Amino acid sequence: MRNLLDFFLKYSKWFIFIIYVIISCMLLFNGNPYQHYIYLTSANKVSSLVFKTSSMVTSYFHLHDINEDLQRRNASLESEVICLNKELARYREEAIADSLSRDSSLVQFDFIIAHVISNSVSRANNYITIEKGRLDSIKPEMGVVDQNGVVGIINVVGDHSARIISLLNPKMRLSCKVKGREYFGSLVWDGKSPHEAILEEMPRHEKFKKGDTIVTSGYSAVFPEGIPVGTIISHEKEHDDNFYALRIKLFTDFTTLSTVRVIRNNMKDELMQLQEGEEND
Amino acid sequence: MTKTIIQFSILFIVLVLLQAMVFNNICLFNVAVPFVFIYFIVYLPLTLSANWVLTLSFIAGLSVDIFANTQGMNSLACTIIAMSRHSLLHFFFPREDELSIPEPSIRSLGQEIYMKYLFTVVLLYCTTIFIIEAFSFFDIWRMLLRIFCSTLLTFLLLLGLDSVVSRHD
Repeated sequence: MRNLLDFFLKYSKWFIFIIYVIISCMLLFNGNPYQHYIYLTSANKVSSLVFKTSSMVTSYFHLHDINEDLQRRNASLESEVICLNKELARYREEAIADSLSRDSSLVQFDFIIAHVISNSVSRANNYITIEKGRLDSIKPEMGVVDQNGVVGIINVVGDHSARIISLLNPKMRLSCKVKGREYFGSLVWDGKSPHEAILEEMPRHEKFKKGDTIVTSGYSAVFPEGIPVGTIISHEKEHDDNFYALRIKLFTDFTTLSTVRVIRNNMKDELMQLQEGEEND
Repeated sequence: MTKTIIQFSILFIVLVLLQAMVFNNICLFNVAVPFVFIYFIVYLPLTLSANWVLTLSFIAGLSVDIFANTQGMNSLACTIIAMSRHSLLHFFFPREDELSIPEPSIRSLGQEIYMKYLFTVVLLYCTTIFIIEAFSFFDIWRMLLRIFCSTLLTFLLLLGLDSVVSRHD
């Protein structure tokens, strides 16, 4: 017994070393990003408080860029409003007769505005933290966009903060298509630049031009169809010759992210039930 | 004794917050990342028992992990450098009993030995971090470039930091 005790005392540093290495590796190789412990991510109370304080200061630095983006967006929305108004006026004349109001339950998506308090673009797996959480009715697996395009998907939610898997994370795959076409592929990040990503599995027989716009496909309950993602820069061959991989320039500028919108899908539960029903049949 | 504990607690908090708020956002030319908080591990007194060094290093790594959302990456690398720290110093500087100050610094070890020690620790740390990162994207040249540039940047920053911190004795 005494010998055993001596043995443990003599090699205690090795035991402690091994224990810490095992803990680290368990954290490191916990593959499912939706199962991270809330208190070990940046969405916990202390770190979100710290980040909130520092972002109060640093958020001023990006105001210029954000302002410019908003101006541009504003201009395009304004011109859209003018077009729509014209169209509306035309339809109103045509269809005064059947003026049934739409059922409000059919409004499928609405938005929750949130501020980014921490963000990274330089690591292999990037995450974003925002200052709204469960109490603002944010739930895991909600889509997040900003004024330019897709940002990511919520994965860990605390009471007053939540963590988003950024589009700049190889664990995130986004179903996308070229605007106006029906073929879709999945968008992943290759880790090279925070402004670019790869759209994989595009069929070989389709023709794509540089500068074509990529939008979300709407095949999942997370993002509605047609949210802008980026434009095509170039195409490369994949290992499998039947498919193209397109290099995409992302619309969202992840380096100056500050205000984002979380998409709430009011029909998600219904969709999930439907899909579950299909699987059970 | 109490004074040393307070001194190191302040150093810990300042370095972890600096790393989380400032240095984690820096990525020079998209390759070089500075890991300044490991100065805490480099600077822990040699008289401290190995168990304490391991525990403190693990906690430092874990705190940075929490802020940076890199589950386990920094804590693993910190544990590894904490374990090899003593043997490295012993290798470069066999006459440990002659040390006037228990903390390794440019003043206590001399320029040449301290620089060798610091460089090896930083290189070991960066190598571990970027090998772990290579599990996500494997690109050997990019990995080597990132290891090299990050080591150089961190090494230079820590040399500067050392001249500021170790003067206050």
